[in-house]
Amino acid sequence: MRKYWKDIESRNKSNEVALIKATAENGTPLLDLVSDQNMELHASRRDFLKLCGFSFAVTALASCRQQISKAVPYVTAPPEMIPGEALYYASSYVNGNDYCSIIVKTRDGRPIKIEGNPESHITRGGTSARVQASVLDLYDGHRFTGPLVDGKPVSWDSIDTDIAGKLEKIAEEKGTIVLLTPTIFSPATEAIISGFLKKFPSSEWVQYDAISYSAMLEANKISFGKQVIPEYRFDKADLVLSFGADFLGTWLSPIEYTRQFSSRRIPENDMNWLIQLESNLSLTGSNADKRIQIKPSQESAILLNIYKEIVKSVENRNIDVPASVLDVSKISGKLLLSKGKSLVVSGSNIKQVQLLVNEINRLLGNIGQTILFNSYLRTHAGIDSDMDKLIGRMENGKVKGILIWNVNPAYNLYKNETFVEGLKKVGLTIGLSGSPDETSSLVQYICPDNHYLESWNDAEAKREYFSLMQPAISPIFNTRQMTDSLLKWSGSTLLSYDFLRAYWVENMMKRQSEFHDPVAFFDHMIQKGIFEPASAAEKESGQVSVPFYPAAVNVTGNSDKNITEIVLYESVALGEGRQSNNPWLQELPDSVTKICWDNFASVSPAQAKENNWTDGDVLRFGTIELPVHIQPGQAYGTIGVALGYGRTNCGKAGDGVGVNVWPLLTSENGNIVHRTKFDHIEKTAKIYLFAQTQTHHSMEGRALVREAELDEFKKNPAAGNELHAYNVEHNESLYKMRTYPHHHWGMAIDLSRCTGCATCVIACQAENNVPVVGKEEVHRVHEMHWMRIDRYFTGDEDNPEVVFQPVLCQHCQNAPCENVCPVAATNHSSEGLNQMIYNRCFGTRYCNNNCPYKVRRFNWFNYSAAGTLTGNLRDKEGMTGDLRKMVLNPDVTVRAQGVIEKCSFCIQRIQAAKLKAKYDNRALYENEIQTACSQSCPAQAIVFGDMNDHESELVKLINSGRRYNLLEELFTMPSVNYLTKIKNKIL
Amino acid sequence: MYRNFHAGIIRLLFPFIFLFSSVSPGLSNSPQVGGKTNVQTKAINKEQKKDTTKVQVSNTTKAQGNDTTKAQGRDTTKIQKKDSLNLQAKDTVNRQVPDSIIYKRTDFTAEDLIRGERLFYGLVYLGDKSISCASCHNTQVSDTLNWNPDALEISRKYLGKNAYALSRVLLKPAGAKMKVVHKGLQLTAEDIVLIKAYMDKFVNIGLKENKPVITNLLLLIIAFVLFFISAVDIVIKRIFKNQRINWAILTITGVFITWILAVNAIALGRAKGFAPAQPIKFSHYVHAGQNKTDCNYCHYTAKTSKTAGIPAGSICYNCHFLVRNGTRSGATEIAKIIAHLEQKKAVEWVRIYKLPDFVFFSHEQHVSAGQINCEACHGNVKEMNRLYQVADLSMGWCIDCHKTRKVNISNGYYKAYYPTFYDSLRAGKVDSIRVVGIGGRDCGKCHY
Repeated sequence: MRKYWKDIESRNKSNEVALIKATAENGTPLLDLVSDQNMELHASRRDFLKLCGFSFAVTALASCRQQISKAVPYVTAPPEMIPGEALYYASSYVNGNDYCSIIVKTRDGRPIKIEGNPESHITRGGTSARVQASVLDLYDGHRFTGPLVDGKPVSWDSIDTDIAGKLEKIAEEKGTIVLLTPTIFSPATEAIISGFLKKFPSSEWVQYDAISYSAMLEANKISFGKQVIPEYRFDKADLVLSFGADFLGTWLSPIEYTRQFSSRRIPENDMNWLIQLESNLSLTGSNADKRIQIKPSQESAILLNIYKEIVKSVENRNIDVPASVLDVSKISGKLLLSKGKSLVVSGSNIKQVQLLVNEINRLLGNIGQTILFNSYLRTHAGIDSDMDKLIGRMENGKVKGILIWNVNPAYNLYKNETFVEGLKKVGLTIGLSGSPDETSSLVQYICPDNHYLESWNDAEAKREYFSLMQPAISPIFNTRQMTDSLLKWSGSTLLSYDFLRAYWVENMMKRQSEFHDPVAFFDHMIQKGIFEPASAAEKESGQVSVPFYPAAVNVTGNSDKNITEIVLYESVALGEGRQSNNPWLQELPDSVTKICWDNFASVSPAQAKENNWTDGDVLRFGTIELPVHIQPGQAYGTIGVALGYGRTNCGKAGDGVGVNVWPLLTSENGNIVHRTKFDHIEKTAKIYLFAQTQTHHSMEGRALVREAELDEFKKNPAAGNELHAYNVEHNESLYKMRTYPHHHWGMAIDLSRCTGCATCVIACQAENNVPVVGKEEVHRVHEMHWMRIDRYFTGDEDNPEVVFQPVLCQHCQNAPCENVCPVAATNHSSEGLNQMIYNRCFGTRYCNNNCPYKVRRFNWFNYSAAGTLTGNLRDKEGMTGDLRKMVLNPDVTVRAQGVIEKCSFCIQRIQAAKLKAKYDNRALYENEIQTACSQSCPAQAIVFGDMNDHESELVKLINSGRRYNLLEELFTMPSVNYLTKIKNKIL
Repeated sequence: MYRNFHAGIIRLLFPFIFLFSSVSPGLSNSPQVGGKTNVQTKAINKEQKKDTTKVQVSNTTKAQGNDTTKAQGRDTTKIQKKDSLNLQAKDTVNRQVPDSIIYKRTDFTAEDLIRGERLFYGLVYLGDKSISCASCHNTQVSDTLNWNPDALEISRKYLGKNAYALSRVLLKPAGAKMKVVHKGLQLTAEDIVLIKAYMDKFVNIGLKENKPVITNLLLLIIAFVLFFISAVDIVIKRIFKNQRINWAILTITGVFITWILAVNAIALGRAKGFAPAQPIKFSHYVHAGQNKTDCNYCHYTAKTSKTAGIPAGSICYNCHFLVRNGTRSGATEIAKIIAHLEQKKAVEWVRIYKLPDFVFFSHEQHVSAGQINCEACHGNVKEMNRLYQVADLSMGWCIDCHKTRKVNISNGYYKAYYPTFYDSLRAGKVDSIRVVGIGGRDCGKCHY
């Protein structure tokens, strides 16, 4: 049996003394440093008696009077709406460069949940944590509530006349007007923008992506003659070689790539092989079969050496390249073995590196196989040098007017100070973003945009893969869609909807033959949400590549031991920080580090030991101070820091969370690179506390995650899972076991497919009204997530392998929690569910103590404002305001303080589907019931179903040799089954 | 959202709460229709009053306002006659003044207002055929349904209008019903102006509330005192030589106290019989009973949704587009719904059937899948003028039904998942399958 460990301390078996050791320099115990007012209880005996008296009086009064509630019907009932029933709208999630085809669930006119649209061939029903959490952004009270001029509210009419007049005046004087946006991949919006540019001929459009891929775009222009990002097919690649590209987490189109990648992680089929060379331990690196730690500066030398080997083999010529620290003969040998079926990608934003990657892919024959150009990705088109030029002209005073939509260069541009200076010299500044940010606080006019759930639009994330965006609610505030504003100022009388409709009827209708009536066509398109004309399948033409000269690569492979390289990355949850005011995403523990509500400096264990740094020590990088997190797997001599934190003007939840490290970015040949160097890092005397969800319980050497290698699995399907047979044989009961002859709900989680992206965690939170508790409460182990992703390390401390395991209530048939509840608030249903009855629970927490999986959560305080005693309210993040509460699912009880809660297997969905079947007089359809987690999973790692249905996908998985139960030796007989993780070591 | 903590406290402090709660009229009466309604209407009335400032009414006004009985009316006959004589004298003087000018009068003395009030309450003799306003239009909160609009309602309606508008309704009514009831009213312009003046004042006075009945509380207190005295006598004083008397008092009062507390404890938090006054006097008797409208016509989501739904105003308009005059209420109540529609304002009904938030009840499940009649839970709605809560909606009530109700096992869903049940029923091995047999007692069926 392998030994798994969860963090360094548990590995060193010094967990017990860790707390005592962890004292500040001045000897203050660590826990005393947490001195938030919320955490102190100033209650005396007198207060207690007062409270008793008060609550007695309140209770007595409240119980004497019948509470009057009003029943207020519609004046005119909307025909499509049935009160109490959910309505679903197909739409598209677009936020900056992120895209997902979605279905929005609305209840009584309020969007409450986002689900993936299975019809889409890009995302195929998958979502990401950001997509799931985006519904909460709609109910963000920090959004602009109406148009502003110099911070004062005005009417749309007056701001329109004002702006239109000024724009026309600038146009008359032939002054430059700049429209600054992120990459726009909506055809209709592009058309509206071109109309605007036509109306004001002196205007121009600049696309700025905070996380840009401009080097890749420029390199592709040279290599392939097209300045586009190709379509990557991870599902077609037997071998993926990735240089720091976190394609499962954040790189380009992670939802699409996760689905593709995980479809090749089924050991029964043809498994792929992933080699990841990186500095930080990323989500992709955690899932790699082979992970090699490199410094970012070593990347080009390694690539050159691989290139050398491949050239030697393919073109039979020798070239001279600098030596690399890594012996690449094995990797390049394997690449050569899978010619045309491999994929080399790099997350670097250096043109020379991307050129080299292109050349390697071309030599391997991957172009046209795993790298396709017909349906190229349109979500990233920003070129960094455009922004540099713009800033230059702004500083020279050449830009007379600027319209800024949905970008925040004052925060996330590496030279944001020059941008801010330049902005002061622009006469007319208009902010079109929907919510306040660092940039919009600097502009004169605010014309707030709608949230995407309030907007009409379309998207073409990949060429010829269209999708529509339709509103699921009318604007909550007095906001107006950005395209409406542009249309208005361009002198058009059309609204975005009219324009979109006309645009689709004109341009899209001719591409299909099913509908000839424009009304029927557009209605059908809106209903379906996507439009993928067949022309996308046209044959790939052979690409012509410009010969590449490797000498052009600037090799800085000389690794100076004293220089520490800082690698700046996007976190899976927050990315570039657009959704920083989203408490769900802030509280989502990072998949690898399990830290939430913070960014930090990831340091390798060896370097920490060398410099005598411990977890929580605060380091100083120039002007920036960051706390240390010792991260096994971090390359020695590198420090990883997440971007997207340290916002100052994004709202209650996000302000002041973490540290802004965007200024650390540097520019290389006009492209922004996500790394920098520090030769001197100073340790301060400060100590910092993280809210970390996974140091609290140790694994104690039990086989929670079982894994095997592919060759072992091929010989024996139960490889790595030998314990299962033993346990099944030895688990016997003296009592008669209860049977579930009708329904028996169960779940299977394939650890081979699971990438640990944590989408399910947010999906569960949105579906089940799971409260947000805040950083201090997470630190006190009070987090409330019903579903968590456990992460274990195995092997070498410096270069560990990582496994993820989603853990939820196991719905044991022999449940330890049920036996100890003194009031039978948790018991078993006739359908095999472990039920939790909140109104019966009175909070002894015996069940919590007796649960071996630690999946029960206790409401220590009133996190959701469902309770009545105001003193117990814990809501630092503003989640219990009237607006935020609109996101609650009315089919799930909101729990008050003092009760236990846990996963219910989305019983509200089970009940709804069963009722639908009874209404239709039929049996349930296959996969009709989907829990929130299984629906959202982009990797399709979670399968829910009826264990009595022998035809179902679930039963097939349960019958496989890979199936085991968590802690099955305890004979709890869980209904949640895990399938062993199979790693591919052979090729 | 539910109140677990409170529930705990209630459990702990049961005895105290019962004692306290017995003060409340809603609980001191037996849990029947009347008692609850009082509390209900009271609360609503309070709400309505919020906007308006209270005006102090003189003692005489109060006394007369409360008394509509004949006996007391007779006592004041003398004054009335005097008044009417004075008035007649005034009238002869004012005869020359055209009505249109009288109607524009705005200044009133306290005396004028008192006279207006007497006219309203019918304390002024105006000939045999005259009926008083107050005889049809309630001036106090009522448990029973009065089809006519109450005094506050009409006062509010005419608040912004002049006395002429009121005279049109009183003397030349347009509505079919009012034509009948207002026929033969012998009111001069002067009278109407004074009535109008009083009505304007009435808006601030509001409807009189019924005082809570405190018999039960008094009895309870007496019982406690007796209990205490007997107990003390047994232990210390020994006044009664025959201690059996003390023991008898202890037993009787003890039983009485326990009984009162138990009855109130069971009714606590439940609202069986709750029959609040609604903003519009909608009668299920008229609609579902007399006119035989199907329940599903208005509550059209009962078969397809969790909630049966309160019909939107537009549904009412389907019929009331044409039907503008009711046989009982005349045009008044129907005019309200039309007004709401025209102003695009929702009617704020008082909700009667309400389950706690932690209970999930689906009408679709019970009406469509379970094929249960509406009457099974809502009672004979067809005979209710004012709707009231028939069942106490307790969990015991739910479970009792689940234990006895038969399942339609031939539904395709049950056939697929309960084949053994279906077979044994067909083979005659069992006579029926009850809801509990298919998991109808699982907590998770309703609580999640």
